[in-house]
Amino acid sequence: MKLVATVLRRLRDGVIVLWAAASLTFLGMQHSGGDTALAIVGGPDAMPSAELLAQVRAEYGLDQPLWRQYLSYLGRLAQGDLGESYRLRISVVQAIGEQLGATLALASTAALLAVALALASALLTANRGRRLRALVSGGELVLSAVPNFVIGTVLLLAFSFYFHLLPPSGSAGWQSLLLPSLALGLPIAALLAQVLRQSLEQVLEQPFITQARARGMSDTGVRLRHALRHALVPLVTLAGYVFASLLGGAVVLELLFGRQGIGRLMLDATANKDVPLVLGVTLLAAAIYVLVNLLVDLLTQAIDPRTAHH
Amino acid sequence: MPAAQRHMLTPMLLASALLFGGCSPPAPPHTASSLKGEAVTAVNGIMRYPASDFVEQREGLRGGTLRVSAATDSGSFDIHGLSHGNMQWLGRILFDCLVYQAEDGTLTPWLAKAWDISADGLTYTFHLRDDVTFSDGARFDAETVRLNLEHMRDPATKSPLAAAYIAPYLKGRVIDDFTFEATLREPYAPFLDVLSQAWLGMISPKQILEAPRSIATRPIGSGPFVLDSYVRDQGAMFSRRAGYDWSPPAIKHQGEAYLDRLELSYVPEAMIRYTALEAGDSDMALDAPPQNAAAIRANPQLTLRSRIRKGNPARSITFNVERVPFDDVRVRQAMAKAIDRDGLAWISGFGEFLAKGDYLAVNTPGYDPVAQDALAFDPATANRLLDAAGWTERAADGVRMRNGQRLQATLLTYDNPAFPANVAVAVQADLRKIGFAMAIEVLPLTRVMQLRYAGEFDAIGGGYWHTNTADGLYILYHSNAIPSARLIGQNVGHFRDAQLDQYLGEARRSTDPQRRRELYRLAQQRLGETVPAVPSVESQMLLAYRKAVGGVLFDGSHNVPLFTSVWLAKEQP
Repeated sequence: MKLVATVLRRLRDGVIVLWAAASLTFLGMQHSGGDTALAIVGGPDAMPSAELLAQVRAEYGLDQPLWRQYLSYLGRLAQGDLGESYRLRISVVQAIGEQLGATLALASTAALLAVALALASALLTANRGRRLRALVSGGELVLSAVPNFVIGTVLLLAFSFYFHLLPPSGSAGWQSLLLPSLALGLPIAALLAQVLRQSLEQVLEQPFITQARARGMSDTGVRLRHALRHALVPLVTLAGYVFASLLGGAVVLELLFGRQGIGRLMLDATANKDVPLVLGVTLLAAAIYVLVNLLVDLLTQAIDPRTAHH
Repeated sequence: MPAAQRHMLTPMLLASALLFGGCSPPAPPHTASSLKGEAVTAVNGIMRYPASDFVEQREGLRGGTLRVSAATDSGSFDIHGLSHGNMQWLGRILFDCLVYQAEDGTLTPWLAKAWDISADGLTYTFHLRDDVTFSDGARFDAETVRLNLEHMRDPATKSPLAAAYIAPYLKGRVIDDFTFEATLREPYAPFLDVLSQAWLGMISPKQILEAPRSIATRPIGSGPFVLDSYVRDQGAMFSRRAGYDWSPPAIKHQGEAYLDRLELSYVPEAMIRYTALEAGDSDMALDAPPQNAAAIRANPQLTLRSRIRKGNPARSITFNVERVPFDDVRVRQAMAKAIDRDGLAWISGFGEFLAKGDYLAVNTPGYDPVAQDALAFDPATANRLLDAAGWTERAADGVRMRNGQRLQATLLTYDNPAFPANVAVAVQADLRKIGFAMAIEVLPLTRVMQLRYAGEFDAIGGGYWHTNTADGLYILYHSNAIPSARLIGQNVGHFRDAQLDQYLGEARRSTDPQRRRELYRLAQQRLGETVPAVPSVESQMLLAYRKAVGGVLFDGSHNVPLFTSVWLAKEQP
């Protein structure tokens, strides 16, 4: 019962977050300057007629006062209608749907890679030889500080341009997924490994670990069965950060590797003042963020039941 | 059509700068006096591409898939509803036009076999081919032409270009199945020229009537290829249209296209387009990066072509002539003479771009070299002109002053690969040498567009307008083209000169080719004297392809590859 109440409360909060995200983006787009109708049919290479601009303003309601545009947008949103992209002239749902799969594939592969690398690095090096630890930790520090387009470029130079092992661009097949996922996942892996190692090392100092060792448990057993579970809590709370890095990084890496995806869609939409599409992508990001945070809370409770009482 | 390619982020460039920072330029600046890699000749002092670039030389091999990469996705295939530069070659893949403009500007038959123009220049009667079909089976006929012209100007099409180009079109009449009569509001000599541009191609009448919204993603044309599949921002697949037999007679190609398929991919990073070509992962790269031009030329497997867009060349500055100090023609002349356009050509084109000092691209029908040296680089004369204009005092920092007012202005620009920041800074540095303080303001494109049409700027950086007629001068500099509440004109600097208006207006109305040529010569001379903008380089498109690619012909209007005649020497491994 308590669980259901928590979920319901969080979903209510989620709706408020979505409303706030939509409203702020709406205001932001209005204040970014530029004439929306001109952005739709203008461009540096266009000669639209005055009648056409008037037609576009009327069709998209741009001639209405701002508050009315806002209310009618919210009204349509409440009915689940995200509208039509100004630039692509297809529905926002279709535009996002076309691109979502590619971004999900990139983000989930990168996230899996990041978690796997972080677990491996932290478990193998926590409280182990000082030199090894310093070396690995130093490498992680560098990786987490380098922007992912630099990592992407280095990977491209090595694996695509020099050894010709992997394709430099495109969205076809797992081969084209590998380099961008690594470029996206490595900085995240580095940060997660740092946090996890520190927390593992704290846990390994706890009396219950000494007890476990006294019972004759092997070092590997202690690390995997006792220490890891406790050390995971701070890691899970970083999920929000991980999600933001994945989305932000996708914009850059989709462009660098010539991949399809939400990031590129968002970039083009913002540059063209394609308000419905920007709002659509923002709402999607906010919705995923809400869900991720909900899952994190539930997961934290499962890992460490004490947090449920806070 | 100026540069429509945007590049909001250039991570690859940034990264290259980080990784390879410290490298010096490969050679000192020098002037490219002729186009590299092109067999150009001078005819009456005007550079010309060889005729063999535009006419099929021999029959090609059939079959194969050509893999082409391009920088950006136009997001739609509705030629009438777009102004994107990609349509120049994409349009030719899918659609045909009524008439075809040969490279020398001659108008030749295409879907129209012949035409008559009334003596008053108001009525055009087109005699159409009767054997043309669209890929959905619809027949091409007089009603098709009427529907297409209506579709171009229908506000629902949201046409940013085609509608403006046919603005003088009043009404159309179907005389019989294959005879169509177009009536204009006023004589408009460039009518046939614009009808031959790819944005004004013919779309299936069935699609226009039944599903106009599907043109954006599933276009139906009568062209040499049909669209099989399209993935946004990724690419498109085209296959040969069986039974195609109506390419423009001027290109001397017979029957269907040679290639079985065309595989187009959109690769935003120039370096990746180049590397894929070099590795043999693609056969042709449109928009080849000038920074890799030397490497492409050095590679025996690759060919690099350099194609000048007809129309108005690239500008470094367009002046707002209603603002001080640009209301004074001497200041505008001084600016044009103070900017080292050879230097600009070098830093933007790495030795590939031709410096340009007059107002029409060298291959535009009607180009005349009368004013080619009027604005030659000459800082000494520039200084004298500013002295004569009264800017004789100097501030402590060396900037000229007049009556206590500094000689300064702001150059408005946006992040634009055709006018990159280093070019803006070079312009700034050249102007500083004659005592002009030019600040640079970089704003988002949408904001720049608004300020541009509102006339709220001192000077605006970059820009070119590609069209296939000297009427491009009317579009940019005639006082009728000044933006107003009723018109989004391209004369954004509010330039107004009665003499120039007279030349350009009469050239539009005249039906005498000899007279039009003379008027355009006078107009070019007048522009060299009145300087509404500073020309900088020819607007050029670089194209690279592998040696196995044969039959690369160029379109007479747009100077982009025509894939109808392209063939592959052998199937790829």
